[in-house]
Parts: sequence; C-alpha cells; structure tokens
Amino acid sequence: MANIFPKWANTIPLQVLLGFLLLGGVISAGITYYATPKYTRVGYQPKQPVAFDHHLHVEQVGLDCRYCHTFVDRSEHSNVPDAGTCMNCHSMIKSNSPALALIRESYSSGEPIPWVRVHKTPDYVFFNHSVHVNRGISCVECHGQVNRMKEVYHAKSLGMAFCLDCHRHPDKAVRPLDKVYDLDWKATSVNAQIEEGSERVMKWEVNAPLSCSGCHR
Amino acid sequence: MGSKCALKLFGMPSVKKNKQNASEARQGKLGRRYWKSLDELAQTPNFRQWVEREFPQGASELEGTNRRHFLKIMAASFGVAGLGLSGCRRPEQYILPHSKQPELDIPGVPINYATSFPRSRDNIPLVVETHQHRPTKIEGNGAYEPYRGATDLQAQSSVLDLYDPDRVKQSSRRTTTLSRAQVNDFLSSLSRKHEATGGQGIAFLAEGSTSPTRERLVSEIKKRLPRALWAEFDPVDHDRSEIAAERLFGRRLRPLPNLQKAKRILSLDCDFLNSEPGHLRNAADYASTRRVNSHQEAGKMSRLYQVESTFSSTGMMADHRLRISSSRIGSITAHLVAEILDLTHRESYLSQLLRKKAGDLGKNEDWLKNCAKDLVNHSGKSLVVVGGHLPIAIHELVHFANELLDGLGKTVEYLEMPKTEAASIYDLVDAIDRGRVETLIVLGGNPAYNAPYDANWKDAQRKVSEVVRFGYYFDETSLLAEYHIAATHYLESWGDGRTFDGTLVPVQPMIHPLFDGYQEIEVMARLAGSKEIDPYFHVSKTFKSVTENSNSGNGFEKFLSDGYLPNSGYESVLLNANLNRIRKIASSFQLDDTAPSIEDLEVRIDPDSRVNDGRFNNNGWLQECPDPLTKITWDNAILVSPRLALELGYDPDTDRSPVTKIFDSFIASSRRYNQFEQGREVAPMVALTIDNTTVEGPIHIHPGMADYTVAVSLGYGREKVGRVGNGTGFNFYPFFGGKTPGIARGAKIDLTGHSYLLANTQEHWSMEGRAIIREGNLKEFEENHDFVETMGIESHSPPVYGKDKNLSQQAKALNQPRGESLYKTPTFGGAQQWGMSIDLNTCTGCNACVIACQSENSIPIVGKDQVTRGREMHWIRLDRYYAGGDLDKSKETIPNDPQVTVQPMLCQHCETAPCEQVCPVNATVHDEEGLNVMAYNRCVGTRYCSNNCPYKVRRFNFFDWNKREIGEAYKGPMGKIATSDLGELQKNPDVTVRMRGVMEKCTFCQQRIQEAKIKQKVKARDSNDVKVPDGAIKTACEQVCPTDSIVFGDVADPESRVSKRKKSELDYSVLGYLNTRPRTTYLARIRNPNPEMPDYHEYPLSRMEYEEKSGHGVHESDQGQSFEKLSKGNGHGDH
Repeated sequence: MANIFPKWANTIPLQVLLGFLLLGGVISAGITYYATPKYTRVGYQPKQPVAFDHHLHVEQVGLDCRYCHTFVDRSEHSNVPDAGTCMNCHSMIKSNSPALALIRESYSSGEPIPWVRVHKTPDYVFFNHSVHVNRGISCVECHGQVNRMKEVYHAKSLGMAFCLDCHRHPDKAVRPLDKVYDLDWKATSVNAQIEEGSERVMKWEVNAPLSCSGCHR
Repeated sequence: MGSKCALKLFGMPSVKKNKQNASEARQGKLGRRYWKSLDELAQTPNFRQWVEREFPQGASELEGTNRRHFLKIMAASFGVAGLGLSGCRRPEQYILPHSKQPELDIPGVPINYATSFPRSRDNIPLVVETHQHRPTKIEGNGAYEPYRGATDLQAQSSVLDLYDPDRVKQSSRRTTTLSRAQVNDFLSSLSRKHEATGGQGIAFLAEGSTSPTRERLVSEIKKRLPRALWAEFDPVDHDRSEIAAERLFGRRLRPLPNLQKAKRILSLDCDFLNSEPGHLRNAADYASTRRVNSHQEAGKMSRLYQVESTFSSTGMMADHRLRISSSRIGSITAHLVAEILDLTHRESYLSQLLRKKAGDLGKNEDWLKNCAKDLVNHSGKSLVVVGGHLPIAIHELVHFANELLDGLGKTVEYLEMPKTEAASIYDLVDAIDRGRVETLIVLGGNPAYNAPYDANWKDAQRKVSEVVRFGYYFDETSLLAEYHIAATHYLESWGDGRTFDGTLVPVQPMIHPLFDGYQEIEVMARLAGSKEIDPYFHVSKTFKSVTENSNSGNGFEKFLSDGYLPNSGYESVLLNANLNRIRKIASSFQLDDTAPSIEDLEVRIDPDSRVNDGRFNNNGWLQECPDPLTKITWDNAILVSPRLALELGYDPDTDRSPVTKIFDSFIASSRRYNQFEQGREVAPMVALTIDNTTVEGPIHIHPGMADYTVAVSLGYGREKVGRVGNGTGFNFYPFFGGKTPGIARGAKIDLTGHSYLLANTQEHWSMEGRAIIREGNLKEFEENHDFVETMGIESHSPPVYGKDKNLSQQAKALNQPRGESLYKTPTFGGAQQWGMSIDLNTCTGCNACVIACQSENSIPIVGKDQVTRGREMHWIRLDRYYAGGDLDKSKETIPNDPQVTVQPMLCQHCETAPCEQVCPVNATVHDEEGLNVMAYNRCVGTRYCSNNCPYKVRRFNFFDWNKREIGEAYKGPMGKIATSDLGELQKNPDVTVRMRGVMEKCTFCQQRIQEAKIKQKVKARDSNDVKVPDGAIKTACEQVCPTDSIVFGDVADPESRVSKRKKSELDYSVLGYLNTRPRTTYLARIRNPNPEMPDYHEYPLSRMEYEEKSGHGVHESDQGQSFEKLSKGNGHGDH
C-alpha cells in the first residue's frame, strides 16, 4: 500500500512548533516594544490650551524653573503655576496678545486653565519632587531637556525600570546642588560624573530606596 | 528524662497532651482558666471545629453565591469589558491650578489647624490634618500638656461624620426646602415677634456646652427675651459630683482628680479611664503611675481598687475588683467613710451612725476593711473616685472621704466653676404642659430619642404649635418639628470651649461648609437680634473679654495657632468640708440597699462605649469598632452575669451533640447561650421588663458582672437615622430616667424563644491559651525580675538567635544573626531599623488606636453581615483574654470573677516573616529598614500569607469595599457603584486605596515613615544628616494613645525611646519560639495586689493557668507544690 502522507509530512510537527515559537517570539517582542512605557509614553505631546514655550522662557527670558514651579523643592508635587504667576509679567508684556487670552480670562474670572497633564505616575506610586531636587537630582533626569522644548513632551519612560536604574546607580545622576535647575549642565565627562557623583553619594549619604516601600505605600 | 521532657526540650508543643488537657478540662478536672470566649472554655464541638479550621468559615470561603454563578458573572463582565476597548486609550487628564494661588497653600503638603472637639463638659484640643483644605485626619493637640496629644475614639471618628452622605444638606419646613434668605428672614422674624412680648411663649432646649461664646449669647438672648425659657439637656449628665460639692461647700465646684499623685485609688463604680469626662487626662496620669521600666522602680507603682457592678475598662485595669450591685454602693461608701473615721480616730459618733445606716456588708466587709486600711496608710496619696451615675449622697460622702484621706489639694483639686443658669428638661415639659410655650427651639441634641422616659418628651413636643429644630441629622426630633435648620459640622464652624479643667480652646473651621448649613453661633446671634452675625466676630469678642486684663497684641491669632490659651483654666480652691453638713447627710442618709435578686434585677444603663448616647450612631467606624470587653460590633446587647444566665435556665456546659443541637433549634433555641456557630454569636432574645415597659434584646454573658445586675448601653435602636445606623441594636432609653437614670431596679427577664445574630469578633483568631500575654505580680517581679523570660516555649527551646543571643538589640537588628533559623535571614541595609514596643501594663483597651488606624490608613468598613463572616478589616485589633478565678470554688463552668487583659495585635513585622516565604509573587517582602511591606500591585490574592501568619493580622479585601454600596458586595463587578463620593474626601491621599482581591495589613504607617525621611533629607541637602530623629515618626496608633502604651522608633539606635523600652526585663515577643523575631514586642503586665486582701492571689490568674497548663514541666500529679518552686526560676537554666 502506498504511503498516504509523503515523507516530508514528518517535519510538519516540527514546523508547526517552530511556527508557534516564532509567533510567540514576535508577540512577546511586540508587547515588549509597543506596550511598555518606553513606547506608550515617550513622545506623548498633547496640545496645551495655551501654547506655552519653555524654550523661550528659559533660554531667552532666563527664568529659573522655580519661578513658576514654585513648590518643587518643598512639596511632593511640582505645581503648575497659577494664572497670577503669568500675569506678573504679562500684565505688562504682550498684555493684549490673543495667545494669552485664556490666561487673562482665568485671572479675572477665577476659572482654572485646564492644562493637559503630560507626566503621570500611577496612583500607587508616590513620587516626591522635593527630595530629589534637594539631593542633587536635576529636573532633566526625568523630564528631559524641557528648556529646549517648544511644547512639552514626555521624554523619558518613567516606568519602574527607569526609576530603579537611577536608584541603583545614583552616582550617574547626582550633581552639585547649584546645578540642579541648570538643565544644560553636564559633568566634564562621563567618567568625571561617575567619579564626582560617587563621591557625593558617599559624602551626602545618598541612600536611594530600592525596596517597595520607597515608592509604594 | 522522659519523653515529655524531651519534647519540651525542643520547644515542641505536645499535641497529645493538649488533647488530653482539653478532655480533662471538659470534665472539670483541670481548671482551664485562660480563654477568649465562653465557648472556648466550654470546649464545644463547634469550637473545636472552629479552632481546627484556623480561619472562621467566612474568612476563607466565598459565600452567598456558588461557583457556577460566580463564573457566569465573571464571564459576563469580561464580555462587557471587551466591548468598548476603552482601556486602550490613555485618558487625557487635566491639571487645574488656582487662578490666583492662595497664600500658605502648597499643593501636596498638608496643613494642620488647631481646633477642639466639642463635648458637653470637655472639649478635646485637636490638630486636624487637611489636604487641600479637606480635613482627613484628627489628632490630639500635643501642646496641651494634660492630654498629651491623645484623643478618644469619638473624636477620631468625627471626621467621618463630616462626610456623612446622610447629614442634612438643606434647611426645610416640613417637606419644602428653605433657602438661606428664607431661613434668615424666619429667624429674625421669630426674634422680632417675641421681642415685643419679652419672650413670652418662646422656649429653648439646648445641649450642654463648654463654650463661653454661647454662654454670652445666651445671656444676650435672655436680655432681649427676659421671659423666654432656656433649658439645657444632656441625656447622660455628669454633674452630680458638682451638685454634691455645691451642697457641701456652698459654691459650684468641680472635683478634678490628680491621678499622678495618687498611689492608692479606690474607684466606686467609676469608669474614670474611659467614659467619665476628663478621661484622657485620667488615663494619661494613671498610666504614668503604672509604668514599670525596671524592677528597681517597680515599687513606685500605684494600686487600683475597683468596686463595680458591670465590668468596665477601668475594672479591667484594677488590681482588686469587688463585684457588687450599684444599689449597694451606697452602703459600701458609708462603711468606707466609717472605716476611715475609725482608722484615723475621728468622729466615732459619725462612724457608728454611718455603719448603722449602711447595715451589714456580709462577706465584703473584710475586703473593704483592708482596702480602707491601705488608703489610710497612704493618706495624702490616696484617692476615692465615684461614678457619675450614682446618687448625690454618695458623691457627698466621697468628697468627705477624700478630705479624711488628706487628699484635698493633693490627689483631688477643686475648681471654681462659673455660675450657669439653665432650666432642666423637666421644667420645660412642665411649662409646655401648662401651655406656656408656643415656639420651641431645639438647638442640637435629640430629645425625641433620648429624653428620660419620665419627661414624656414626645407628647410634650407635639403639644407645641411651632417647633424649630437646629440639627446635623434629620432624626427623631426633626420628624416632630415643623422647621429643620441644617447645622454645620464642628470642622466647618467657629466656636470655642473649655477642656475639663477649664482651659480655653478654640473651634475653628478648616473647610467651607460642604452644604447649606448654619453655625450654632450664627443662629443664636440672629435669635439674639445681634447686629453682628459673623461667628468669627463673636468668638474673637469672647476671647478679648476673657483676656482683657492681659494686654496681648495678636493674642487671638496666637490662640488659634496654639489651639489653647495657657493658664486659662478654672481657679483651684482650697477648702474644708462642712462637718455639720456631713453629720446631717449621715443622719438623713437614705439607703435603698436591698440586694437585687432574680425577681428584682438591677439594670445599669450606660452610654455606649462607641456611639455614646446615640449621637454617633450613623458613624460606620464606630459601629464596626468592637466593644472593648464584649467584642460585639454593630449592636448592643443585654449583658448578664454567668450566675444569672444559669439561673435563667441556660446551661453553658451543655454538650451540644448533633441530637441536642437539633432539639435546641426546634424546641428552645434560647438555650443556646453565647453560642458561636462558626463565629456568629447566636444570642437568645429576651424581654427585659420594668413595671410595664418591655424592651426586647439579645443577651450576652459577660463574666465579671455583679450577679443580679444586667447592663445595657444606650445609643442604639434609633428609629430615624441614616443608612449606617439603621436597624442596629436596641433602644434602652425607655428605662432611662428618674433621679438616677443610670440605675434602674425591679427588672425581670423572660425568654422570648427567638434568637438573634450578633456580629462578635471575640472568637475569631483564637490563640489557644499559650503565654501570649504574660503577667506577674509586683512582688514576684521585684524578687524574680526575669520571670517573663522564663515563660513560653522559647524559655525551653534553644535561643532563636543561636550563639548570638547575647548580642545587643542594635547589633541583632542590623546584622540579623541567622541563629537557628532555616530561613535565610535577609539583610536589611538601612541605617535605621524600625520597631515598636507595646506596654500591656498601661493599655486600657480604649479602642482609640483602632479608629486612628482606620482613619489614617483609609480602612473600609464591611458591614455587620461581613463581620459575622470574619472579614473585618481593622489592621490593629484588641485581643481580650479572660482568666477565671473562682472556677473550682464555685463549680461553675464560667468564672464569675475573671481577670481581664487586652493586647493590641497588629502586624508584628517579623524579621523572618513566615508570610513572605509562601507568597508566590513576592508581593510581601522586607524593606531595607526591617519592615514587612505589601506591594498591593503584585498581590494576586492567594491568601497563602494569611494562612501562614501565626498572628492572624492580615486582612483580605473580599470585595470592593471602597467602591460599591454596602450590600452590593456580592454582585461583584455588577454591583452598584457607590452613589456618594463624599466619603472619598476623607481618604488619606498618601495611602493607596486597596481594591478587591488584595491582601493588606499594618504597614507601621509607612507613609509617615517616608514623609519623615523625606523631610529629613530635604533638610540635610548636601550634608549627611539623614537620620530621622527619634520621635519624629509617630504611628497613628502611637499618636492617639492616651497612656503612651505604644512606642515606635529606631531599634538600631540605643538611645531611642523604643530601644529603651525594649531593654526592659518585661520585654517579650509573642510566639517568640517560632523564630519569627517580631519587631513588635510587648512589655508584660504587672499587677499590684495587696497581700492583705481576701481576694489576693500570689500570681495573676492567667499566670496560674499558664503554669498549670504548660509551664515548667509540671505534671498533673504534682501541680500545687512544684508550681511555686518552679516559678521562682529554679529548674530553668538555659536548656
């Protein structure tokens, strides 16, 4: 009796298995790439109700971060400024600009401006700004070069792996306290940063928590 | 060495022996004296099953729906979830900053305001934490020295009332709502109308208050409406001792006990540690004389004698306790005074007179004689206190007793009280009956529910043509009123008040009224026709008038920020009692000292330990808080003594075989008695009758009560209340009234044949009578100061730290020697290592920590039904253990005279935590600072950790308690989402809200630790000053504790408070032999009994039971003699 199946049919199970493995690999790779914060968050750039230009205000006007984000060194939360802060200058400069109409309206009516949130940690993560900026971690480490952004976008992943990278090696990021708000500052070289950074970590007893309780309560 | 000894050597509990013991206990051979509930003692088959199950049935099983149904629901919900794909889009969120940033307001940083919790006699100074101007947590104001920053459970839970969705949101007239303008018009027209007649026909009924501003406004109202009737009424009044002082000394005086100076205290039916006004001060002062740090200073300890009819929390703390009905306390007091007179050789005529009046004391005479002797021996350092519910004559005698004991100005001070004039509710009812009242204004209170029965209030209120009610809830009184004016919460109002010693404290608002409510001062100002109605104006005006003599510039602002005005208390006066007056009392003293009997029971009626007189009935935290002694939640019950229960026809020792059980349920379910069926207390319903009034309620057997006294608590069985309090408990106000409302006589109990389910947390989490709580007597401690170490299995087993057992505590915390542990001990790298010490010697079981924890950590309530299934969520619970004394003597199964100790039990933060090893997903792990932490997001809800926890302190979210309506829990995702989001405002923003399917437990207030660490690091900047100073972190339970029983801190620092406590000889770990190495350790309790007393025991009862059962290799044959020898530490080398 002739064979019903040709000889190559013997390899079918192997091929099916390989196919599944390949498919599984592609799916995992796909999820890893497309469904993690690195992809889902980085680059998020919503349109803001008022087109505030960080680049202009920081680089040209020369404002310090803390002029607007007043409480970043005192609170867990880095506040978005009230309309009053804008009006400190804009009551005199460009006081009739249509781009600032919403600010003036908010200032007179008391209605808040609905700024769209860009950076967000989940509810169960308790991130504290003040402890980072007061211990030599610059804004740039998490927010990127906001001073160069015309419109703010999500620059880093802010996933748990991102946090832990830094918490495991704080020496890569800890800088002199007077350079925290200088987003362009860089140590002379990567090695210099690590060398000086680890010295600071030693001297200041920087002990970035690695346990769950550091961020989850 | 026999096999038994060999077992002991390895610290192995002998299973066989336990079983043997149990059967012997049932046969009554071996007094099993240490038990958690009556059934445990009785060793019913149910209980055995219960113990063997480890968890109460409901706590580990899904009930109310079967698996198939559950799967159906789940499948449906997945289907629905898949439809919308709504989860795929990142939702756009907005940040809404202020338009103009208010000063001092930093988003993310809480602001604390000083205020006070208004009570009728004692405002408790507070500091309230507000997040973005919404109050979330109440704490005591530590700057006010006498209360040491403590609060009680009612003050703690009052923040929940602010967000109660059932509070009145708008004023109304019958069913139509009134606008603000309409109410204003109405109030001023009322005032104008009655001004013409000088207030003829208008009457006020207000609650008692300590507010000087209100007092001033009352006098303004009286000035404007001189013929108006101003009455004040508090259902539970505490002014008898003041009235007695007035009679004796001719002026209004308030006795203020100074327990710090009292070495010997006799308390006559007085729960001064937990319910009398000023109890926070009392508890703190009392604890300061009871704290024992080492055997050298143990001799300074005070001694407390308690004479009482019910079993109170104070009775639990007592060294000697005499059970006697309240009706007999008069003769006890008379004998006491006579005895003191005799011992001090004064006024023998008087003493004879008193003795004659008081009659014979019988077998209690010896007790009293020796007690009086002890008091007299400590003249100048002894104190007699008396319960507020007792007749005035007894208060007068006690004033006199204190004078004889040379206590005036030393252990008891007298404070000069301002004169107040207010009519009583009886005067008001009288005026109504005579038709003199057309308009009645009820300011606060709830007389239609809680007026004394003999005032007949409801009928009286119906007779008045126009009733205006000002109140926070729409309650029984509002139902009978034409107008209801919505009141604001005290956290939304201006006001002021005085603490018990008269210190002026402010009440300041921290949130704009959530609804359209009125402040009391505003309403009164409008009625007084005052031009200025702003409450702030009135409060500051009062403040100025109080401080007019001292010229302080910005005094008012300082007053508000300090939260109290220093040195503003009532004047203390020195005086001598009027002897003639005492003679007169002695001769006119009328004693109704017939002892109660089963046909003529005495009923003691007290405000409830949680909902008080009913005003907090709609507070879920308080409802779910177990009563300190009965452990009943969501209900009150009729408490009876074991003897009475027996005589009423229950036999607690009934061996409920299946046959009798069926028989029981068919024929006489009432025969079941404190019967627990899988954790649910099935209590027989009885009818309690006095004269023609009958109230039905469940009975609960409460060991330690006087034989023929039954105790009931007020505050339950409300007819018109919100959704939380609805249908809870039974109303005993129908018995409350007359001259001494707290004591009623002539009661009878009849069975109804029905039964009632009580949600009792008592039998949950049984620990089987091991050396869980360690107790010793002072004398023994002085001689054998390491007796604590010789208790428990660990005293027989190899030391858990192995060869490193002698390392210092700090070294142990930092290096974690492996010792005999199989578990690879993790190393905790942190420089600071957290730990806690709990002093059982001073814990009064007041429950404040339970509520403080609930408030701080956003712990949900679960409802009565779920509590009966053992699913309550409290992170800290108070375990109450009885140890019975007269078991053998009385041949009864339930001891009548037990000793009680409570033990706060919370996550012990074991260094080698058993829970961590069984978690399949690493959701519970250790952090660098030695804490056992929960990562909620990792938890998949296997509950293995809870199974493996020897302390049973883990709590599982069976349902979405936070998200869904009560009663909707079983519908799972299909359940109705809670309609009111008011409650969310209370939640602590620094704590994750846990969802269904997640395990949770005490975190040592992780958020407070992190906050303190961050604060310190921010302060340190580029320095290395990063260690959190001792005392900067106070856990919620530590902060609230009036007796400083709980101390938290860094155990790696030998100078910290907690390290010093842990160094004490009394320090021990619960279940230490398991090698869990808990970071929470306990200080053993020391009792200080008087060897001359007839009820003296050489060892605490629990200790005797421990020694008999599992101590020191005592064999059944030679108990008596070997116990004493062994307990002195002989035979106890290091095994």
